[in-house]
Amino acid sequence: MSAVWRLARPLVQAGTAAYLLLPILAIVLFSLATRWTSSILPSGYTLDHWTAAFGDPRLVAAFARSIGLALGAAVLDAVLVVPAVYWSRVRNPRIRTVLQVSAAIPFALPYLVIAFGILTLYGGNPITAQLNNTLPELLLAHTAICFPFMYWAVDAAMSAAGIERLAEAAETCGASPAQTIRRVIVPNILPGLVSGGILVFATSFGEFAVVQVLIGGSFETVPLWQADALYSTNPRFDELAASAVATFGLLFVLSAIVVAADRRWAARFRRGGVTAAPPIVETGAAIAESPTQIADSPT
Amino acid sequence: MSVRVEGVSKRFGAVQALADVSLEVRDAEMVALLGPSGCGKTTLLRMIAGLELPDAGRVVIDEAEVTRVPARRRNTGMVFQSYALFPNLTVRDNIGFPLEVRGRPAPDVRARTDELLELLQLTAQGDRYPNQLSGGQQQRAALGRALAPSPAVLLLDEPLSALDALVRSTLRDEIRRVQQQLRITALYVTHDQSEAMAIADRVAVMQHGRIEQIAAPSELYDRPATRFAATFVGSRNAAELAVVDGRVRLGSAFEVTVPAGTTRAVAFFRPEDVELVREGPPIGDSSGSSGVSSGPAAGQPATIEVRLFLGATTRFDLATEVDGGIARLSADIPTRDAAGLDVGARVRFRVAPGLVQVFPVEPGGGA
Repeated sequence: MSAVWRLARPLVQAGTAAYLLLPILAIVLFSLATRWTSSILPSGYTLDHWTAAFGDPRLVAAFARSIGLALGAAVLDAVLVVPAVYWSRVRNPRIRTVLQVSAAIPFALPYLVIAFGILTLYGGNPITAQLNNTLPELLLAHTAICFPFMYWAVDAAMSAAGIERLAEAAETCGASPAQTIRRVIVPNILPGLVSGGILVFATSFGEFAVVQVLIGGSFETVPLWQADALYSTNPRFDELAASAVATFGLLFVLSAIVVAADRRWAARFRRGGVTAAPPIVETGAAIAESPTQIADSPT
Repeated sequence: MSVRVEGVSKRFGAVQALADVSLEVRDAEMVALLGPSGCGKTTLLRMIAGLELPDAGRVVIDEAEVTRVPARRRNTGMVFQSYALFPNLTVRDNIGFPLEVRGRPAPDVRARTDELLELLQLTAQGDRYPNQLSGGQQQRAALGRALAPSPAVLLLDEPLSALDALVRSTLRDEIRRVQQQLRITALYVTHDQSEAMAIADRVAVMQHGRIEQIAAPSELYDRPATRFAATFVGSRNAAELAVVDGRVRLGSAFEVTVPAGTTRAVAFFRPEDVELVREGPPIGDSSGSSGVSSGPAAGQPATIEVRLFLGATTRFDLATEVDGGIARLSADIPTRDAAGLDVGARVRFRVAPGLVQVFPVEPGGGA
């Protein structure tokens, strides 16, 4: 069995890599191809599509909007999730159920349904109705639909860091909850927090349905620009490929930075420390049970 | 500064963790809370730290009631079993943390941190992170962090139980040295009776959420007040015996009077109080005062089943026939007197009645 697996493993790995990388490679080549119709490889290469795409002020602005929106959602999610998860772990475990159910909703419902739900919800009240079709509404909506990614990442990081014990230690040192979160909790869950942030960023960056329903063309993001490039009467496939590669590149670089930073962080802090509670040596227990029982003593 | 708990109770669901416990730790005194797992000792410590709220009763630190005061506003320093050092801070920053969050000026923080690093012999490790330290060094750093704000009371929750035996005894002595040097009031939770005896001015033995006895280590060792204290403290022989004519006897080894109305009693006696008498002609010149005497038959006959060399003493596990049954017990003899006492040898043993402690057996109670 293991011999078979030893032979098969390189093939499986190569197949998986090809399955994942070939489509990306195809888009990269497509974005650089002068013409690519009936041959295996393009007949020539050019940067014209890239210059055309990023010479378009609409796409540049869309990138800026998407990055801003995704950053906003990531920061807002971090600010909301970290104290909530901290509280659920340190003070009130009962709210964990509420958080977990809330974190499941965006996975259970299509974004389109959520978007219409948000429109209906906001429209039901004259004050919140003013927010309909505005950027703050979109930002809040993205914060809501991306929240699970931040929640699971932060919750796992807090569990791994043993923050309950750290929080108690900080409390007995005289630290307030805010000081504890800032000085102790956040630095010790940083890799999880950043991973969650990247996931939120990526989800928000690539999200189409909620942006389209809530705000539409008045706040054109990269996915909206891409949809327009695809479905317009004169489709711009080459520029679309260039923008797709740029989007992928941006998220890939962010992910690579996170992985590298996490490794450095782990090498610095994680070995030993508080996360791995050392085994308890039960020396006293043996002594406690040591009175020599005299068996069969006279009755 | 003193610490007092008055009639505190705490229940976790169906478990009564503390039942009407009162305790006073006097100024500059170290009291050990000793007991098995689940006896409530850690709950009591956490209550004084402010990490648990009592259902009833009061906690008083330095004559001020702090029962409902949050932990961060109590002037306590706590050392945790798992160290709980902040992994993202260096040793220096860990020790300075309680001062920084209290808003002390940076030069003061630095001076106090330097002082504690020196006191705890951690100066060379000041700029290291916790994961770069040994277990003993981590616990010393945790002690430094607890001491940094000069707390009214130092609370130690099984601080040595995660360490290996050699480091444990060294650090135990160091904790005691620092506590006495700083004259700080301290409460020390442990399940290790030898640790409690060695480090504390007084030891409180706890069971089922109550303090069974609080006394100086020597008093607790010599005169345990309850059957549980006798069981838990010291390595004792225990024999449950029937009361006949107001007395219990273990063959001809000892005979002790018991309180009136007792029908069954458990007798405790320490292995080092068992006196062995060799059968047959006298061997050597032992006086018999502390271990082995020889001469005419006296005491209860027994056979040596096991011989264990413990260094200064040698332990003998004896089997003796009493009222048709076989009873087993341990006897510790100075090693210098133990020559010739081999497995299978026949001996006699006796225990001075004054060294036998007898507690009535309540109906349904276990040993």
